[in-house]
Amino acid sequence: MRRAMSSSERLVALTLAWAVAGAALADERTPAQKMAHESAPAQWLERMNQALTTRNYDGTFSHWHGGRVEMLRIIHRVQDGTVSERLASLDGSGREFIRSGASLTCYLPDQRTVLVEQRPPDESLVGFPALNDQTASFYDIREVSHTRLNRRNTHVITVSPKDEYRYGYRLWIDDSTAMPLKTQLCDTRGHVIEQIVFASLTLSAHIPDSAFKPEVSTAGFKWLRNESAPPALAAATQAWNAMRLPPGFRIAARSAQTLPGSADPVDHLVFTDGLASVSVFVEPQRREQADQPVPESATVGSSSAFSTVIDGHKITAVGEVPPDTVRFIANQLKAQEPPPVGSRRP
Amino acid sequence: MNEELDSQLSAMFDDELAPEECELLARRLSRDEQLKARWGRYAVVGAAIRSERGVRLNAPLAGLVSAVILAEPALAAAQGARRTGVRWWQPVAAAAVAAGVAAVSVLWLRAQAPLAGAPLSAHLTAPTATAPGAAVVPAAAAGAPDSYVVPRAPAVRAVVPSTELANYVVAHSVFSSPVTRRNLLSAFMTGEAGSAAEEPRDDAQGNVQ
Amino acid sequence: MSADASDLSLVRRVQRGDKGAFDALVLKYQHKLVKLVMRYVRNPAEAEDIAQEAFIKAYRALPQFRGDSAFYTWLYRIAINTAKNAVVSRDRSPIEYDLDRNNEESYDMQGRLKDSETPEGLVLTDEIRSTVNAAIDALPEDLRTAIVLRELEGLSYEEIAAAMACPVGTVRSRIFRAREAIDRRLREVFEGGLGRAEELG
Repeated sequence: MRRAMSSSERLVALTLAWAVAGAALADERTPAQKMAHESAPAQWLERMNQALTTRNYDGTFSHWHGGRVEMLRIIHRVQDGTVSERLASLDGSGREFIRSGASLTCYLPDQRTVLVEQRPPDESLVGFPALNDQTASFYDIREVSHTRLNRRNTHVITVSPKDEYRYGYRLWIDDSTAMPLKTQLCDTRGHVIEQIVFASLTLSAHIPDSAFKPEVSTAGFKWLRNESAPPALAAATQAWNAMRLPPGFRIAARSAQTLPGSADPVDHLVFTDGLASVSVFVEPQRREQADQPVPESATVGSSSAFSTVIDGHKITAVGEVPPDTVRFIANQLKAQEPPPVGSRRP
Repeated sequence: MNEELDSQLSAMFDDELAPEECELLARRLSRDEQLKARWGRYAVVGAAIRSERGVRLNAPLAGLVSAVILAEPALAAAQGARRTGVRWWQPVAAAAVAAGVAAVSVLWLRAQAPLAGAPLSAHLTAPTATAPGAAVVPAAAAGAPDSYVVPRAPAVRAVVPSTELANYVVAHSVFSSPVTRRNLLSAFMTGEAGSAAEEPRDDAQGNVQ
Repeated sequence: MSADASDLSLVRRVQRGDKGAFDALVLKYQHKLVKLVMRYVRNPAEAEDIAQEAFIKAYRALPQFRGDSAFYTWLYRIAINTAKNAVVSRDRSPIEYDLDRNNEESYDMQGRLKDSETPEGLVLTDEIRSTVNAAIDALPEDLRTAIVLRELEGLSYEEIAAAMACPVGTVRSRIFRAREAIDRRLREVFEGGLGRAEELG
């Protein structure tokens, strides 16, 4: 005969049963079903992208690269369709990046310079690469575990590249908010080369405008701005294109703009494989640049830049890809003259 | 109240019950929520007596662990090849899903090690120890006809003028995907443009020194 | 008694697929493990998380446990490694999450359970501790001595029998009766806690 449960036993049973119910609510599928359902991890990436671009948040995170760790603060707000963002280094460089709608400002106290770049007003603010069917061909996206990170339930999603043209990622995505609490960027052999971990994170309904004011003092700084009205693309007599691209990369955008501090128009092509993107800037080589050694490589953390000269034009490729990928793409750029009128064969 | 049973429970909790009685009681314990609750309270009594500062006596820890485990495949299905020389372990035939599940567990365990050299895409292989202080060893990707070697420590010089690079980075950032954009801009904000990456030194277990 | 027969009987059941048996192991060792982890992280909530992680790792690694060492010894090593890894991968700043609950969209287990930062969690612990202490104070001396020698000094039944000059069977009975008496009072505290838990629901 089963005796009635005592209240304390009921408490423990309640806790256990409730926890079971919670787990059941969280995911009703068996692990086998989960693993077979490959779109689910990709959905987590979509949710993560949505969270990063549409939610208001204020956090500090550590950025590890090349054996150095630095702390940064990020504040992000979407209000009345306008994106405001502030990214500031908390130790060391003192640099800040502030976005207010279509205006991007870069404070570089170490160079006593401020760059102000005005984007075209009609440019889509959510024009980032979207995961598509193609992406799955070049990345293996999996959820490898559901684990707790710093008292939050997270989904650990790995994005493994299928070739060496791109990086891989390991993401700890918060179950509740879809924010990436920890991000590892890995090279093609799986070694972590960059890591971002949130130390604190607040998602709030309201962030005041004052949160987006720079802390750095700009007295005596050089201000470089670009022309707010970009030259018309049609003015270019040559259309530049990449003759070949790494597998999976396609052109996603093409525009002409001026860069801060320069009056010359620059062609800006964007190639993407759905996750990584590479910009290629094409501008006539200026006389003062002729003395610079070419080609040149640079890195910005794990991102890569590569510059070369083709047909008297300076070609610069920048992207969150390995160095050889930007070099490959840049070297593929070629100007295509439109055929002269009247010389076309029938 | 079944005194004999509860008395056995108390003895088993103290590891003072005969093995054959343990077997029987273990089976009951796993299925009987009341018995389990009592067992749990025995543990609380001990912890309270030892008066450990900061340790919560009503933590939902057990329930949370239970919930996670409930969602996992039963261990019997996950067992791999039988090990020899085990006297009391009763092996169960491995299921076809075993290899996949075991590999996932391995990857999960590796993921906890900070910045370990765990192969990201090696969901089919066991983890291998990273050689401490490994030098740059370019490795051609298997099956890639074009030699597309990605050196582990790209040695590059900052030759591109910083302001120009800043322009490119800012202009490009609009077109990055949200998470990669954060990597790019963070690196830029911390003034990492152009610096050569230094390698983290791993010990044999993949722990960063 | 063969050492560790209690744990091994539960471990064997888990290895054969009985998940409920693992609950018993967790219930038995959770406080010990949290206390162990607190040597590495001072924050009790973080220690609980790490302990939880260690238990889950232990569950998944249980097929590889062959009984060469005591189960708790094996579990202890896993917990230490987990704690060390957590400390190393943690960055310099203290890690706190302060998510605006109004903005949280989906069902969140954690939101239902108050975590240890909230006063209720700590109050309950203190209540439990003082209840147990009061119950022990109220015990007849032979019962009190037996339970304290067992739980505080960690003596085996045989050692306690020698210390108290009585048979082992008597030790077992005294400890059991001491636990019963304490448990009666403990259930009242949990009843108060149950009321609170229902309010949260």
